[in-house]
Amino acid sequence: MSAQQPRSLPEHEHAELDPRLAPPFPQAALRVLRNPQLRKNVAHAIDVIETKRGKLVAEKTDWQALREAASAIRNQALEHLDSYLEEFEKNCTAAGGTVHWAADADEARGLILDLLRQENAREVIKIKTMTSVEIQLNPFLERSGVEVYETDLAEIILQLGDEEPSHIVVPALHINRSQVREIFARRMGLEHLSDDPKELTNAARAYLRSKFLAIPTAISGANFLIAETGGVVVVESEGNGRMCLTLPQTMITIVGIEKVLPRFQDLEVMLQLLARSATGERMNPYTSLWTGVTPGDGPQRFHVVLLDNGRSSILKKPVERQTLKCIRCAACMNACPVYRQTGGHAYGSVYPGPIGAILTPQLMKMEFAQSLPYASSLCGACYEVCPVKINIPEVLLELRSQVVDQERKKTSRIFDPMYLGLRIANLLFAQAWCFHLAQRMGRIGLRLFTRKDGWIHSLPSVGGKWTQTRDLRGFPQQTFHEWWAERVKETK
Amino acid sequence: MTTSASARQRILKSIRVSTSAIAAVNPSEESKAHAPLAEAYIRHGKLDRTTCLQLMIERLREYEAEVVECSPEQLGATIKDKLLASGKRTFVVPAGLPGAWRAAGFDWMIDDGHGAGRGLAANEIEKTEGVVTASFCGVADSGTIILHHSAQEGRRVLTLLPDWHLCILLASHVVETLPEYFDRCAQPPTLATYISGPSATADIEMTRIKGVHGPRFLHVILARDEPKVN
Repeated sequence: MSAQQPRSLPEHEHAELDPRLAPPFPQAALRVLRNPQLRKNVAHAIDVIETKRGKLVAEKTDWQALREAASAIRNQALEHLDSYLEEFEKNCTAAGGTVHWAADADEARGLILDLLRQENAREVIKIKTMTSVEIQLNPFLERSGVEVYETDLAEIILQLGDEEPSHIVVPALHINRSQVREIFARRMGLEHLSDDPKELTNAARAYLRSKFLAIPTAISGANFLIAETGGVVVVESEGNGRMCLTLPQTMITIVGIEKVLPRFQDLEVMLQLLARSATGERMNPYTSLWTGVTPGDGPQRFHVVLLDNGRSSILKKPVERQTLKCIRCAACMNACPVYRQTGGHAYGSVYPGPIGAILTPQLMKMEFAQSLPYASSLCGACYEVCPVKINIPEVLLELRSQVVDQERKKTSRIFDPMYLGLRIANLLFAQAWCFHLAQRMGRIGLRLFTRKDGWIHSLPSVGGKWTQTRDLRGFPQQTFHEWWAERVKETK
Repeated sequence: MTTSASARQRILKSIRVSTSAIAAVNPSEESKAHAPLAEAYIRHGKLDRTTCLQLMIERLREYEAEVVECSPEQLGATIKDKLLASGKRTFVVPAGLPGAWRAAGFDWMIDDGHGAGRGLAANEIEKTEGVVTASFCGVADSGTIILHHSAQEGRRVLTLLPDWHLCILLASHVVETLPEYFDRCAQPPTLATYISGPSATADIEMTRIKGVHGPRFLHVILARDEPKVN
């Protein structure tokens, strides 16, 4: 047996990342903000990616044209999603693959377990797939008696260290080299390991080599499905993906229904954008494309599980639909000033950062992730870097209005100071005389809190939420209307 | 009806509610499925051949791949030099590779895994020290080598398990931009691997480390099979 110890299996392995269980964003973020090591690790990683990305995007003179093209391709794919999925299914099946459909996480997990049982698989090797984290696949398989081996370096670090992913491209970016050393030394039984990334990487290579050659069943995600050919594309760096795609006898690929591209040629746009946006490279080290089953080359049994899990209902909404254009490059989180400070865990979802802030509430029917649409300063950096031009601020605003609509109907909100205040404001602002009266009362009321410097530094009750982090200028002694009226009187 | 089949119906039905609504709002020709889209981005490079090949070499070297150039006549001798310099002895080659490229004095394992052929087992390939293959084409802009896994390029496993990969790239197969590669594909490939530098990771503190699982050493011989233009 390997050095991997059996471990306790909580109901939710990533409870911290389960939107149903995670604390609201401001609460979760506070925990991170108090952890200087974590903040340092995140900021360092983000700085490195951002610098590289900036340089490589700048050298591409047709970057904006590529973004336009990518946006058009993704829009076309979504506008005809039904026909492209059927086309993919037809072509993949003709090439020897089997296509399955799963409406939600439960169905997908059940399907995958059934496929593994047909193979008598007790162990399975995995390529990093965020979709499988979304459906909490690993803890489910382990509870069902299947040993899961993650093979991406970052995923091994997380799996052996019992950690949660905090980024969708570099999931362990919150863990530094000495923390990795500690995890590997403990779980692989390598006491004399140094914290040199090269040595740590070699330890992972040796640890996995035997697994690649021995375990005949693999699970992967996919970056793209190609409707025209029934092909599947996986974009990676390490080669663990190629190992999983080539050596096993059986491959199960789980993929969200939105990942389909109409044509093979669409890759000429997507691949130019993806690596530059994701890791700041001209091209990632390895891209693999395969179509069904090829005799003599790679897995001879191939299954694709097409997962809906809330996606088709996002497609119904005109503003939010663009969320599904996402190709999971993570450029938005690297560019986000909020993510930079909080890291990924604060978002309480497998999808963090700006894209997570719009995707999670939609996948989870909002009530579990109400704070996420507010986890943004709306600065628009995410929209600017997005290679498929998702207008994230626009979707954030739309979701915010939905949160408010949902909340203000609740009876529990009737006496909530904020909602009460806003209802009163609504009445006051509707009539000029009410508004003038309110101005005068506000001037008198706030005088109590206004310091000599003309600023309000602290307010009671809900007002305190504002003054907790910023000052408020005191009411002026005269409104513009009053000043104007006075001036007119004087000149007469 | 199985779960999957009923899920299929439910999902497609749910999608169609949305797609038919979109079609009603936007009934133009361009919005039809498979309508060609505008291509305002750069599809064709502007470099002359010499500069384009130079760029290919530069990009490969940036990935720490080793590159040598030779004329087509010198190819056999150049391969032999590279093999000697590697200090390795056992190499695997795909059956379609010209026999003349298999220099004497080394142990050659030949993989005939295509179609009805019998390929080597993974653990046999794992025991070899290196692999020599041809390639479908090279993309200079990103230093990418493209394999379509033909009989000359070998099954996917061949260029994966050995730690040392010597790849022959014909200058006439080097294109400048990625879209030019797509133009070279008469048919979309059923299998393809795009290699940009040796296997690498940056998962630990964003430090790029060469060689996690794929070959750690990539050597490229660029065979100048087209006349030099000045």
